Amino acid sequence: MKNHVRDLRGEQGWSQADLGERLDVSRQTVNAIETGKYDPSLPLAFKIARLFGRPIEAIFEPD
Amino acid sequence: MARLTPRQYQRYTLLAMSGYVGFMLLAWPMVRTVDSTLLKVLLALVPVVPMLYVIGLMARRILDADELEQRTHLVALGAATAVVGGLSLVGGFLAAAQVFKTDGAILIWVFPVMMLSYGVTRWWVGRRYGMSLSCEDDRGMPIAWRFLLAAVATAAIAWLGRHRFDDMGLGLLCGMSAAFLSAGVVLSWMRWRARRGGRGAA
Repeated sequence: MKNHVRDLRGEQGWSQADLGERLDVSRQTVNAIETGKYDPSLPLAFKIARLFGRPIEAIFEPD
Repeated sequence: MARLTPRQYQRYTLLAMSGYVGFMLLAWPMVRTVDSTLLKVLLALVPVVPMLYVIGLMARRILDADELEQRTHLVALGAATAVVGGLSLVGGFLAAAQVFKTDGAILIWVFPVMMLSYGVTRWWVGRRYGMSLSCEDDRGMPIAWRFLLAAVATAAIAWLGRHRFDDMGLGLLCGMSAAFLSAGVVLSWMRWRARRGGRGAA
């Protein structure tokens, strides 16, 4: 799955650690999501969408 | 219950392991010489207490982890269980066939082998998600330094107890120290390479 988490994080001027803190996950998990190596669970994807104020489908899209 | 920070987790683990090592060094040699059965049982079981505490800390750490970390912990624990189960079966059948003789003391190795398999598998699984042990604990002491510290600690124990331990025990400690040192050197080199690569990319 592709995602725009890195771009959205960049727009906010947050580091991976900042985003991890806001999502209550580790920096390495944020990195794995951004690089597409890990697809988050539905609750975490909703949390990400809520944090950036966008619908899930605007952040995550299938390959 | 408040979530443990990586530093707290490391500190508590280090304290428990120091207690364990101190006991093994100072009190354990008496276990075979004391006459009282009660004292013998007590001395034999005291080292279990810090290890149970460490197991509890590990469980707490896994419960506190996020979903990806829990996944890697789970796969690593599964692999560790398979390795220990497989080795126990092989060893058990060979011992039953009297290919070699062993006593119950071999069970002491179950936990260390499980932890070793767990650590290696977790590193292996973590690589798939772009995690690396060399920078995993940027919130605490780097893993390479921990291995080097363990190498120094085991070498010190071997040196201090060289007149107490038998040849096998002494050889075991020296071998463990060398293994920790090798792992520390390799991980330090990986960390150095990763940092140099990162600077190169920037």
